[in-house]
Amino acid sequence: MATSDEQVEQEYADFEARVKRTIYIDHLSPLVTSQIIKAALSQCAKVVSSEFIVNYTIPYDIPAAALVELEDESQAKAAVDLMHDFPFIIGGMPRPVRAAYAKPEMFRNRPRRPGLDMELRWVKEGDPEYDGMNKLKMLAKRQAAEQMALVKNQLEEEEELATQQQETLDENYKKYAMLEDMVRNGEIDNLARHYEINLHHD
Amino acid sequence: MDGSSENIQFSWGNKRAKGGAKMDTQFYGSFTFDNVKYSLYDSVYLFKNGDPEPYIGKILKIWQQKQAKKVKILWFFSPDEIRSYLSGPVAEKEIFLASGDGTGLADINPLEAIAGKCTVVCLSKDERNRQPTPREQEVADYIFYRFFDVGNCTLSDKVPEKIGGLEVNSLLNPKDEQVTCYPDQDTQGVDQKLGAGLVAPLPQSAVEMEDKNPVAAVTPPQSGAIPLPPAVKEEDKAKVAAVPLPPAVKEGVPKPTQDIPKRTQKDLSEKMPSKKLKLSQDLTGPSVVPVPDVKVHPGQAVDRSNWFTPLPWDQELQASDEEGRLVYIQNLDIQFAASDIVELIREALQLTCRARPINHPTYDDPNNGKAYAVFKSKKAADVAISKINSGLVVGGRPLYCSKGLLKIKKPSGALVGHLTISNQKMSQRQREDQKKAVSTSHCSQPNTIEYDLALDWMLVREKQARKFSILHKKHADERKSFAAKIGK
Repeated sequence: MATSDEQVEQEYADFEARVKRTIYIDHLSPLVTSQIIKAALSQCAKVVSSEFIVNYTIPYDIPAAALVELEDESQAKAAVDLMHDFPFIIGGMPRPVRAAYAKPEMFRNRPRRPGLDMELRWVKEGDPEYDGMNKLKMLAKRQAAEQMALVKNQLEEEEELATQQQETLDENYKKYAMLEDMVRNGEIDNLARHYEINLHHD
Repeated sequence: MDGSSENIQFSWGNKRAKGGAKMDTQFYGSFTFDNVKYSLYDSVYLFKNGDPEPYIGKILKIWQQKQAKKVKILWFFSPDEIRSYLSGPVAEKEIFLASGDGTGLADINPLEAIAGKCTVVCLSKDERNRQPTPREQEVADYIFYRFFDVGNCTLSDKVPEKIGGLEVNSLLNPKDEQVTCYPDQDTQGVDQKLGAGLVAPLPQSAVEMEDKNPVAAVTPPQSGAIPLPPAVKEEDKAKVAAVPLPPAVKEGVPKPTQDIPKRTQKDLSEKMPSKKLKLSQDLTGPSVVPVPDVKVHPGQAVDRSNWFTPLPWDQELQASDEEGRLVYIQNLDIQFAASDIVELIREALQLTCRARPINHPTYDDPNNGKAYAVFKSKKAADVAISKINSGLVVGGRPLYCSKGLLKIKKPSGALVGHLTISNQKMSQRQREDQKKAVSTSHCSQPNTIEYDLALDWMLVREKQARKFSILHKKHADERKSFAAKIGK
C-alpha cells in the first residue's frame, strides 16, 4: 500500500477537482431518490452522480442530505446560487432544500490528504501533560454535548414551525373548501340576498 | 515449463486410469516436482500471485491432458477467511476443511501452482479417523477437526460421508504415522539444525520485504519439503513429515496485514534458486521448495479471494458490533481520511482495522472528528480502547473512544415541514394530480401561498446556520486558548 508521494498528491488533486463540482444538498426529504434529484436539477445542471449521507451519529429524526456531483464547477455555482436566492422545492411542499459547496471532509471515502499533522504521542498518568490532556478531553466532551443540545433545539424549532404551518394550512383549506361548497350548492346566492350584496357584476 | 531461466525438476509417479472424451487424459497417483514427491490426498501450499500468504489444499486428482498437467485441489480455509461464520474459540494452527457443494469447495489448478507440501493432521474423534499421536500433532503444520460447508456456509465438526464425491476416509489421517526421515541424522538433531538453518538464509530473501510475515510464509514450504532421494524411493508408506517450524512461522500463518508490501511470485522465484544451493550445503538433504517461476505458466492458484470479499461497510458495522469488534473514536482531526485513521491505528497500536470517518456534515461539530474502527477480534478492540483512552494524543488532540454502535433511529417517512392536505372528499384522480404537483420539483413562485411558507423556512434555516457557526467558532476558540493555557 506504499503509494509514492506524487501519487498521493495527484490523487488528492483529482479529488479536490471533484469536490469543486460537487454540491451538498440538505433539508432533503428522506423519500427523495437520486432520480428525483437528477430531474430536479436538470434545469440548471447535469448530475453525474449523487451519494446520500448515512446518519451514523445523530440520534434524532433528521432530514436527508446528499452529495451531488455535477458536470463542472460553473454548474455547481449556478445550482448553489439558484437555491440560495429562491426557495427550491424537491418532493414536497413548502419546505425548500438548502445547497452549499461541498467540502473535502464531507466525503467519507476521500483519499488521504497530503501534509496532515499525524504526529502521535502517548501521554500517560504521571506525565506532566496528563492533567492538561484530560481537561482537553473533558472540554471536547462538553462541546460535543453542547453541539447535540443545539441540534436538538433546532430540530424542535423546525417541528414547531411545521406544526404551525400545517395548522394554518388546514384552516385555510377548510375555509376554501367551505366557500367552494357554497358556490356549488347555491348557498352563496342565499347568503348574498340576505346581506344585500350583488354577486354578479356587469 | 518453457521459457523459464531454469527448469524445475519434474517426473510422474505411478499411473492410474486413462480417461477423457478422446482418451487423451492420463491420471496419476503421484508425481515429483522440484524433488518433492506429492501423492494423492497430500496437503499442499498454493501461491496466489501478489498474495504473501499461500492457500492450503488437499490433492484430490492428478492428471495430464495434452501438454497440460493439472491437479484438483480440495480447499482448507484459514480462520480469517471464514471470520464472519466463525463463532467461539479457534485452536492454534487450526484450519477448516471444505465440504458440501458449491463454489469454493475445490478447484482445478495447473500443477505448477503447487508451492510445497505441508502436514495437516485431523483431530476429529470420528472412528474413521486414525487418532494422531501427540508427536504428530505437535510437529504438524496445521490441524483440523471442523468442516466448513460451502453450500450453506456453516461450520460443523461432524464428519461428512463424502466430500467432492470421495469417501471421506481418504481425506482423514493416513493409516500410517508420518515419519521424518533423514539419511544420516537423527530426528532431533535435524530439527534443531533445520530450524536454525532455515531461519538464517531466509532473511536474505526477506530483504525486499519489510515485514516478517512473508518470511514466515516462505518457511513452511521450506520445512515441508524434506523428502530425500533415499527416503522417497522407498515405495512404502514412510512419508516425510514437517520439521517443527521455527517460531517465526507461527505468526506468519494468520493473515498478514494489508499493509505488507505485496510480494509477487517473481520476487520469490528470483531469490529461491540461489538459496537452493546454499541450503543444500548447510543442511543435508532438504531441498528448496519449488516456487513456480512466473514466466513458466500462470504459476498461481485459482483466485479464491473473491469468494470471501470483505463485507460491505454497513453490513460490516452490524456484524462487528455484534461481535464486540467495533470501536467509536472521537476528537480526531476532521480532515483525516479513512486510510489516515487505519494508518494511525497501525502505527500506535500495531493493530489492523477497517475505519471510516462518520461525521454528519450538517449536524456534527467540525472541531470534533468521529470515526468507527472495526478490528479483527474482540480482544483487539478491547486492547485498542484501553490503550487509546489511556492517553493517545494525535496532533495535539487527545483521542477518546468507546465500544459499539451509536443508537440511531431509522429515518421516518416524510420530512418535517412537508405539509399534507387531508381531504377525504377528493376523488382518486384529484389525489393523484395533487401528488404529482407536490412532488414535481420547482422554484417556488412569489404569487403562491407556498412561497410565503417557504420563506418562513428559509428564515429559520438562516438563523440555524448562524447559530451553528457561532457555536463552532466558540468551540474552536475555546480549544485554542485551552491548549495555549496548558502550555503546549
